[in-house]
Amino acid sequence: MKFDNIIIGGGLSGLTCGIKLAELGKKCAIVSSGQSAIHFFSGSLDLLGKVNGEEVSNPLESIKTLADNHPYQRVGIDNMTRLADEVPQFLDRAGLKFSGNANQNHFVLTPMGVMKPTWLTIEDFTRFETKDSFPWKKALIINFSGFLDFHTLFIKDGLKKLDVTTQIKNVSMKQFEAIRKNPSEMRSTNIAKVFDNGDALDEFAQKANDLSEGFDVVILPAVFGLLNKQIVSEIKAKILKPLVLLPAVPPSVPGIRSQILLRKRFQALGGTYFLGDNVEEGFFENNRLVAIATNNHGDIKLKADQFILASGSFYSKGIVATRDKVYEPIFGLDVNGETNGSEWKDEKFFNDQPYMHFGVKTDSQFHAMINGEPVENLFVAGSVLGGANALKEGSGAGISLLTSLHVAEQILK
Amino acid sequence: MKKEIFEPFNVSDNNFEQCVKCTICTVYCPVLEVNPDYPGPKQSGPDGERLRLKDASFYDEALKLCLNCKRCEVACPHGVKIGDIIQLARIKYSKKKPKVRDMILANTDIVGTMASTFAPIVNPIVALKPVRRIMDSVLKIDHHRIFPKYAGLRFESWYRRYAEKKQNDFKKHVSYFHGCYVNYNFPQLGKDLIKIMNACGYGVHLLEKEKCCGVALISNGLIKQATKQALHNVEAFKKSIVDKNMPVISTSSTCIFTIRDEYPHLLGIKNDEIRDESELATRFLYRLIDSGKLKLVFKKNYKKRIAYHTPCHMEKLGWSIYSTSLLRMIPGVDFMALESLCCGIAGTYGFKKENYETSQGVGKPLFEQIESSKADFVATDCETCKWQIEMSTSLKVQHPISILAEALDVEATMKLWNA
Amino acid sequence: MNKNNSKEYDVIIIGGGVTGAGTARDCAMRGLSVLLVERHDFATGATGRNHGLLHSGARYAVTDPESASECIKENMTLRRIANHCVEENNGLFVTLPEDDLAFQSQFVDACKTAGIGTEILDPDFARRLEPSVNPNLKGAVKVPDGSVDPFRLTMSNMLDAKIHGAELLTQHEVTDVICEQNRAIGVELFNHAKNEKVKYYAKIIVNAGGIWGHHIASLAGININMFPAKGSLLIFGHRVNKMVLNRCRKPANADILVPGDTICLIGTTSERVPYDQIDNMFVSQADVDVLIREGVKLSPSLATTRILRAYAGVRPLVAADNDPTGRNISRGIVLLDHQERDGLSGFITITGGKLMTYRLMAEEATNLVCKKLAVDKQCETAEKALPGSEKSDLSLDNATDKIYSGMSIAQKSAKDRHGTLAKNIAVGDSNDDSLVCECEGVSIGEVKYAIKELHVNNLIDLRRRTRVGMGTCQGELCACRAAGLLCESLEEPGEAKDDLANFLQERWKGMSPIAWGDTINEVQFTSWIYEGIYGLKPDNN
Repeated sequence: MKFDNIIIGGGLSGLTCGIKLAELGKKCAIVSSGQSAIHFFSGSLDLLGKVNGEEVSNPLESIKTLADNHPYQRVGIDNMTRLADEVPQFLDRAGLKFSGNANQNHFVLTPMGVMKPTWLTIEDFTRFETKDSFPWKKALIINFSGFLDFHTLFIKDGLKKLDVTTQIKNVSMKQFEAIRKNPSEMRSTNIAKVFDNGDALDEFAQKANDLSEGFDVVILPAVFGLLNKQIVSEIKAKILKPLVLLPAVPPSVPGIRSQILLRKRFQALGGTYFLGDNVEEGFFENNRLVAIATNNHGDIKLKADQFILASGSFYSKGIVATRDKVYEPIFGLDVNGETNGSEWKDEKFFNDQPYMHFGVKTDSQFHAMINGEPVENLFVAGSVLGGANALKEGSGAGISLLTSLHVAEQILK
Repeated sequence: MKKEIFEPFNVSDNNFEQCVKCTICTVYCPVLEVNPDYPGPKQSGPDGERLRLKDASFYDEALKLCLNCKRCEVACPHGVKIGDIIQLARIKYSKKKPKVRDMILANTDIVGTMASTFAPIVNPIVALKPVRRIMDSVLKIDHHRIFPKYAGLRFESWYRRYAEKKQNDFKKHVSYFHGCYVNYNFPQLGKDLIKIMNACGYGVHLLEKEKCCGVALISNGLIKQATKQALHNVEAFKKSIVDKNMPVISTSSTCIFTIRDEYPHLLGIKNDEIRDESELATRFLYRLIDSGKLKLVFKKNYKKRIAYHTPCHMEKLGWSIYSTSLLRMIPGVDFMALESLCCGIAGTYGFKKENYETSQGVGKPLFEQIESSKADFVATDCETCKWQIEMSTSLKVQHPISILAEALDVEATMKLWNA
Repeated sequence: MNKNNSKEYDVIIIGGGVTGAGTARDCAMRGLSVLLVERHDFATGATGRNHGLLHSGARYAVTDPESASECIKENMTLRRIANHCVEENNGLFVTLPEDDLAFQSQFVDACKTAGIGTEILDPDFARRLEPSVNPNLKGAVKVPDGSVDPFRLTMSNMLDAKIHGAELLTQHEVTDVICEQNRAIGVELFNHAKNEKVKYYAKIIVNAGGIWGHHIASLAGININMFPAKGSLLIFGHRVNKMVLNRCRKPANADILVPGDTICLIGTTSERVPYDQIDNMFVSQADVDVLIREGVKLSPSLATTRILRAYAGVRPLVAADNDPTGRNISRGIVLLDHQERDGLSGFITITGGKLMTYRLMAEEATNLVCKKLAVDKQCETAEKALPGSEKSDLSLDNATDKIYSGMSIAQKSAKDRHGTLAKNIAVGDSNDDSLVCECEGVSIGEVKYAIKELHVNNLIDLRRRTRVGMGTCQGELCACRAAGLLCESLEEPGEAKDDLANFLQERWKGMSPIAWGDTINEVQFTSWIYEGIYGLKPDNN
């Protein structure tokens, strides 16, 4: 089966790469071993939130201070600036509305009630321009009875520090009785499915409006619009006070919606998305990857001119650790981090964990390498790239998006 | 470098320990959404397995609500065989004996033999409303269900009478696992397949007595009988694949999925020798075309808008690409892929009175898509999906092989490949 | 400083381990007024850091016959009185190809002498009985081993002590033993919850501090020659074995595999550590390697089973008073009357021993207390069932089946954890039945019950009472749910956030020595959720 480009990995990075290539006429396939980490998406895309523990205000400016082997440095500051500028329209074409500025971080409120710097925020959520003030004085936090994944008291505590007085109210809805009967299923996606059907929305909005008498703002968990995107704007319209949505415990409703919209965009551009399949083996000839064999397709190999490895970090098994080594499990590519197991980790959970920096080695054009030799047509993008602790930096989404767009450009050259 | 050692001792079957509790599977479970009595794939699968290993009495009979659609497995980012865990738990722990009704539904071939023998009598009778009411109240087979019609002349008999002889005239040969549906209910699909294969230069042969793949036996808890039939089939496949060097193709996605994957995973039957060369006819054809060994010539006047539905087991196999690629090759086809969703029938599941509502609830989003598709008909590789969609929507359903057979310019194709 | 002179107890027990709990129960049942003090939480020391093995005594039969007969007696007693903390799953002593089969007959004879029932099994039969055992075994002996949950056992003793009038204080650390003319009369405590000092007085003070008893004694000016021995263990993600598996040879490293609740664990190693390291137990790479290497010999499937955690405990080994080098160490019970030994009255130490013999230790200590207080009352702890294990006319199953019809996972799990006390857990409303911890089946109702009735101060305590966060995900999704519930009833939100951060740190401590494979994948995910999405920090106030 022949494609122009095959992307291994169907998460943010793989889809970005696939969409970009398909937009420019390439026949692409994505092989994804299951649903991706976009399912845990917080609603904001970070470019660079912190450097050495210090909050960053201008991400593009601060990128210059990063280490040479940082993926951003390898993309290059000029490319970064240009590509970062492209991202909002790129996402918009998939039906995802984001706003923000790569030269100036804004803030979002986390479910712990603290302000976090970020680059782009999806329309569901509220942008704040400063971290130490909240535009409203009296907030009402509403939760659904029996929903354990939204921690109202934590939010209240956070808001108190911003001089906001808050009240918490629980709402019971008969439409949720069915899911509440099941002890493990009062979760955000299931609530969202009920709202998606439409009938609970008016009743809930009515209750929220009655309760919010005398408050300036209503805060709710982000359980709106799983498959039906309209629901988000509907709830915003139906609730009379300004509405602030906050993420709940994953899987995330806006995350799943984003995954679905990106995948549909890719398919609408003619891309083929193989879900639930695993790449078992690669076939190399003269420093080129010519084909891959997958679990589902067996002897019918998938061929392409260029391949992109966007298989994610440990969580997605893009790299794998055993007792005494770290390796890239599909092709056995060169990795950073093949060190003594006891040096992978710091004993403090919240410290900068060395393992978070591990990933696949590349040359300056993001070619994968085997025994120090670059593979001409195998590129690497996203969090499978090492060289950064994306969690500490707040750079995960940025690395996924921008290295993928950059790699796509390399291929299109 | 790549593979871990210690493989032989792995008792952590089905990778259940690789579950990192991300809960993604529950988002894609079609049952959970409509039936809260079902504990959901995470709880029924990896979470429950751990508890059942502690104490078998943690087994919950509600696991029978699982459709075995395997969409949880397709969604799982960590390769946990959630569906297999649930089915194996049912096999291992369930104390509920199958009912008479379940045995009737499960024994598709015995019942099929009887029914098709008496097809002229059976068809009108099971179609009668009062009879359906009686089946509903006595057998708990839901009265909304319309039993598939039984054909008067079974496919096997037709084949022996009209087709068998000329198959030896071809240079290349395949065996055909027709399955119960083609044999008893819809011989035309088998005839369509033979038409295509013959046009491509292949003689089509039947296995030395095929038995029902057993999927319905497995799902209804009749494991002993399923195992017996599976062992028989594996032997029959071996005779074709190993002894005669003839691959086996099928037109039923569920039969082939069962033989390839459920035999080893659920019944513990080894099928290594036959697995790779047991496949769907559309995949077989695609491979030939992809490698330049075959080209199909189509009629100029075939013009249809076709909406393709991916059956759950096709989604799991990842093979809908083969059927859809073939359909897209037909010049006059205006092709659209429906969003891959479960139709809700899941073989015999939806026939049971207690599952009717769940079954229709699961299928609703798919039915709505179909109704708004403006297609001439729906194409799908699964016979039970066909019944469900035809019962629940206004569109007819055709198998991709039948569509190809209709659109194929047999003579032109034959000229190319029967030189 | 808070003056608290108003009340004098008969006895203050220092230490919230199983020995302290058992002693508090025994003293209270004999009518004494009791105060138990513990610096952290119940069962945080060696009590909660061992195999959870209900020894038959067979392990000691050859090398330490006295311990062996103590064990089998207490084993039978615990089956009676602590039914809900015990699983009667039996054990096998297997002879592997590299072991000497001749040891088997010596072993069987020694068991017989100690009163431990044995049954020599054909290796084939043993394989069928316990499919996880090394298939190359040469011999197997069945013994009445079992599993015991030390957290439940301790808690149940505490509850019974409370029922009999004892008072219990956690988060109270002894900072001084108050002495007056060669007599200990009280303790000075630091209340960690309120950051204040308090004093309590009693006629007798019982030092049941385990290895920390060395330090407590020193506060009273007394030297006890203790030798901390670290033992490391690994917890596996699920039960591999149904029966306890032991090597049929002289006790050595990593030769016991015990199934306990949803998991199984292999241990232990044994290593002397300096006394100043006892609060800083970590499991080294070498410990992990030994445990895996040896564990795989007992049950080969361990090689591919996910490891959840590694942890280490410290055995309170005591050297005989005439042996300062510690060569002649006993694993037996050590009861020190400091009046006789050191001329300090009102102060006794109970130490040594093991989880299995906690009740006997408590009995001996209480006997001495009663003798000193001239109380003439017999010990009843071996006869009376612990709360949760009471026998009514209904069996445990019947009793709880009456409470629940069609038990859910949460209800069944709760019954396993709390025995008949599970009837106190609210059920039936979806606000009670919803699962907080999906791995271990902990419902909102159970969490609320634990917070209300079981002396819970923080998330880590809650874990010990309910198994929240002890499953495969190690708190990845349940920790914040549980924190939310604690926040509603117990903690200030700011505190609860720090508590959550501490909990994640505590989980990481056990995961980091084995952080590879699925564990590292899971930890990365956990970090993304809490740090990335939630913005949780180690210090949130």
